[in-house]
Amino acid sequence: MTSLVTARGVSKHYGKICAVDNVSFDIDKGKIMGLIGPNGAGKTTLLKAVLGLTECDGDLSVLGLDPFRQRKELMRNICFIADVAVLPRWIRVSQLLDFVESTHPNFSREKAEALLANTKVNTRRDSRVRELSKGMVAQLHLAIIAAIDARLLVLDEPTLGLDIIFRKEFYANLLSDYFDEERTILVTTHQVEEIENILTDIMFINEGRIILDASMDSLGEDYVELLTSGDKAEQARSIGPIAERDVFGKKIMLFEKPDRERLEPLGDLHTPSVADLFVAKVKGAMT
Amino acid sequence: MIGNQLALIRREIWEHRSIYVTPIAIAVIVSLVSLAGMVTVSAFDKELNMALFGASNIAGDAERQAALTAFFLGTSWIFLFALAILTTFYTLDSLYAERKDKSILFWRSLPITDAETVVSKLLTALFVLPLVTVAVIILTHLVNLVITSGWVIVKGGNAAHLIWGSVPLFDNWAAALIVTVASALWMSPLIGWFLFVSAFTKRSPLLMAFMPLIIIPIIEWIFFRSKIFASAVFGRGEMIPLFREMDIEHFFDEDRMVVNEELVRLLAHIDVGKFLLSPSVWTGLVVCGLFATAAIYVRRYRDDS
Repeated sequence: MTSLVTARGVSKHYGKICAVDNVSFDIDKGKIMGLIGPNGAGKTTLLKAVLGLTECDGDLSVLGLDPFRQRKELMRNICFIADVAVLPRWIRVSQLLDFVESTHPNFSREKAEALLANTKVNTRRDSRVRELSKGMVAQLHLAIIAAIDARLLVLDEPTLGLDIIFRKEFYANLLSDYFDEERTILVTTHQVEEIENILTDIMFINEGRIILDASMDSLGEDYVELLTSGDKAEQARSIGPIAERDVFGKKIMLFEKPDRERLEPLGDLHTPSVADLFVAKVKGAMT
Repeated sequence: MIGNQLALIRREIWEHRSIYVTPIAIAVIVSLVSLAGMVTVSAFDKELNMALFGASNIAGDAERQAALTAFFLGTSWIFLFALAILTTFYTLDSLYAERKDKSILFWRSLPITDAETVVSKLLTALFVLPLVTVAVIILTHLVNLVITSGWVIVKGGNAAHLIWGSVPLFDNWAAALIVTVASALWMSPLIGWFLFVSAFTKRSPLLMAFMPLIIIPIIEWIFFRSKIFASAVFGRGEMIPLFREMDIEHFFDEDRMVVNEELVRLLAHIDVGKFLLSPSVWTGLVVCGLFATAAIYVRRYRDDS
């Protein structure tokens, strides 16, 4: 498997503040990697480093290029949506398509037109971006991005401020219009539950450090939640859960690398949600 | 590279519609004012008939050329004044607005370097704005000549002879083109400074651009009792090395009681060679280049997170 992004000992300091602290990871071709972290964890800084928007220490290679020094070359093969609001508000839809067509060698006007034909933006070619609804702006942006034959797509909170219908549609379109095994997606969002079923891999970041880097398939094997109560809870606690919480008088305990044979008699086992795992990991990292 | 530049410059015109709206608005006002002027003077019937008679029969070609050139200059200077203001606001906004509305992240997601972007904005300020202004000056000139012709015809004059046979179109237009573009190049250090301010300032670029231009001369005066900075910045406009030494005394040849034909031509007063060989022109362009380079670096290395 080829690694599209390789980070070895990557750090980024802002004065005395360390936003990204000695991070190492790989992102392979054909993956959808979710980068999850609380506010101020260093997600956006890390993405900026990957996109060549900020300089960092350590070795970082994206598509075999140094992202900061070879940004123009990199941008031919990377797309990113940093926030729905970043499309210039004064530009007309048709002008935007003309501009991207004349500056991006990998942009297909036909594909963009075909994608827009199914959206509400289709009849608004002469409208300025500021006259479109937030949802339409997101559709427009995604159509442009999907029409670029890029190898890596980076999404930083792409659905922020959109209503639930548009958010669902956005990710559905992302999978149908953009993704295939030749392409790779790196996405951050606060709404983990909305994307966890499309992710192939996941990374947790907290205080500039990566506290989990795993494939979604391995999560089910490596982590398990036990729903238990009473004496059994005491027994389970002695096995060493990484987190514990109360729900309706029962205990839910989260185990890492679980010994299922020992846990099974103590209650119901199931795979934890990414959100619960995330909370447990972040709390665990802080203690 | 050139394809990107054309696309980027076209984008500047889309974004800053004032590039063409401002000169066109002035053109409309100038044309309306000259039309109103003609209507007003029409009240002086007798004097007008005398003037038309004089222009047709007594005055020579040089006199008619001088009158029409004076008319051209009278309606054109205001465009240069507007261009100066337009260029100031355009350059101060050019690298500031994209940060304010956060679209900079979108622009930077395309395979375009920061240098290409800044250069496109510089080229727009140095050439596109002046060229659009010259085009509108020429258009206004033609519109005004057509209006004047109509008026002369109504008054019983021969417009083909009085206007179109006498107006030095090429001379007027070439002079307008040279003076406008040369003025932009001459003021390029300020244009570069404005671009740099618009790239680095976090708020109110207008204030940030002019504050140093006002404070530095004050400090210089307090400590050194000199005005070198102030005269270099504010006096620069008057020092443009484009014109020949004016010999206005010979404009009217008193012996022959006619206008000196040689001096009626605007191009006769312009010395492009002197401009191109002037060290201060090139020094100015170097200063502009340094500021533009600084703007590129600011855009590339700035990290607002």
